[in-house]
Amino acid sequence: MSIKLIGAVLVIAASGGFGITIAASHRREVKYLRQLLAILDYMECELQYRLTPLPQLCKQSALEASGLLKTALQAFSTELENQVSPDVSSCMTAAVSHSPELPTHTKSCLLCLGQSLGKFDLQGQLKGLEYARQFCREKLEMLENNKEVRLRSYQTLCLCAGAALAILLI
Amino acid sequence: MRCAWQEFIQLLPLWMRKDVDTLGKDELQELRLRVRLPPELVTISGSLWLRRNVSAEDLSFVMNATSQYSPWAASTLRNGYITAAGGHRIGVCGEAVIHDGLMSGIRNPFSVCMRVARDFPGIANAAQCYTGSVLIVGKPGSGKTTLLRDLIRQRSEDREGSVVVVDERGELFPLIHGTSCFPAGKRTDIMTNCTKTQGISTVLRTMGPACIAVDEITEQADCDALMRAGWSGVSLLATAHAGGRTDLLRRPAYQPIIESKLFDTLLVMQPDKSWRAERILL
Repeated sequence: MSIKLIGAVLVIAASGGFGITIAASHRREVKYLRQLLAILDYMECELQYRLTPLPQLCKQSALEASGLLKTALQAFSTELENQVSPDVSSCMTAAVSHSPELPTHTKSCLLCLGQSLGKFDLQGQLKGLEYARQFCREKLEMLENNKEVRLRSYQTLCLCAGAALAILLI
Repeated sequence: MRCAWQEFIQLLPLWMRKDVDTLGKDELQELRLRVRLPPELVTISGSLWLRRNVSAEDLSFVMNATSQYSPWAASTLRNGYITAAGGHRIGVCGEAVIHDGLMSGIRNPFSVCMRVARDFPGIANAAQCYTGSVLIVGKPGSGKTTLLRDLIRQRSEDREGSVVVVDERGELFPLIHGTSCFPAGKRTDIMTNCTKTQGISTVLRTMGPACIAVDEITEQADCDALMRAGWSGVSLLATAHAGGRTDLLRRPAYQPIIESKLFDTLLVMQPDKSWRAERILL
């Protein structure tokens, strides 16, 4: 009986842990993407009003972010200030590589931002920001759309866990 | 002597930083980079050449580093230069981009001339006696800006009333994060990054200056702005490109300011970077 109980506990812990981990990473990804969208708006306003140079702009933007996104933006700003990379894209790649735990979609949005920054005059730059914003929105939409699929996976997982428990306890 | 040397080194591609730092720390005046040619270090005692050739990517690096990867913040490129952190002026040559008949930028740069900004406190000690408006003239690279910087500092320290610097190119008192790289004096206000015309009329209305200082008056508009300020009870400190008094009188843009006796004293820079004073009399 004790073996059955231990088995039941392990099944519950494994499925619960899996669900919680997936849900937390999903929430975190959505949070970072929303923060990034707000930061892109902030960058646009700052550029239009003050033509702020990029290292300073990223340092200020980092203050608007939290967690890993903040760390990545700070690293990006430092890379720009150090002036060892040939272009902005390389600076962003180096900064993102310092934060391997950054969620996948957030990482790809940051890399997209890196490719669009630092190339043109103000008008060109604003278009680049708009492109990055669109990319970010698409990723966010994709995550929202995946919600249904995920819910179905969780339901299946619950049913499987319930069935496993029933088999164990009978 | 003061110099934001580290800021200068950081503008360079990684492979040449060490050599330039070793060879030029104390005496480098200019670093000239030309595509497919070795870098030329122009020092007080002559030119030195590095061995490796400069590539187009190296120039692109310099341009990115100078503008802090922010082309939108480097509007002066349409005038053929960018001022880097530390006040170092980077002149650029290449294919000019023309919009509506005006140069809007430079694509495919072929060469850059990186001039090291240095500050020598005390070089204007002997010029303290000239109390009115002073015009400093000299050839490019003769030390006009350096002398003006010290003159501003001394006037700001020693006399009542504020000295307002309209620093169009950001070379006199380059600001890094809102702080000047070189001491500016306790009564100095600095307006940077705007044209002389805009800056002079703004500070005249808002800052109550006793003295206005500008670097490199070149155009008619600059002279007109100085004329308006000069006859408003403000003394002026300025520099101009001219080989000497004769050259100055030959340039049409400068004639009104000379003829109207806007400036009391002319300081003429000498080849050895010393200067001699002349009264402006016609």
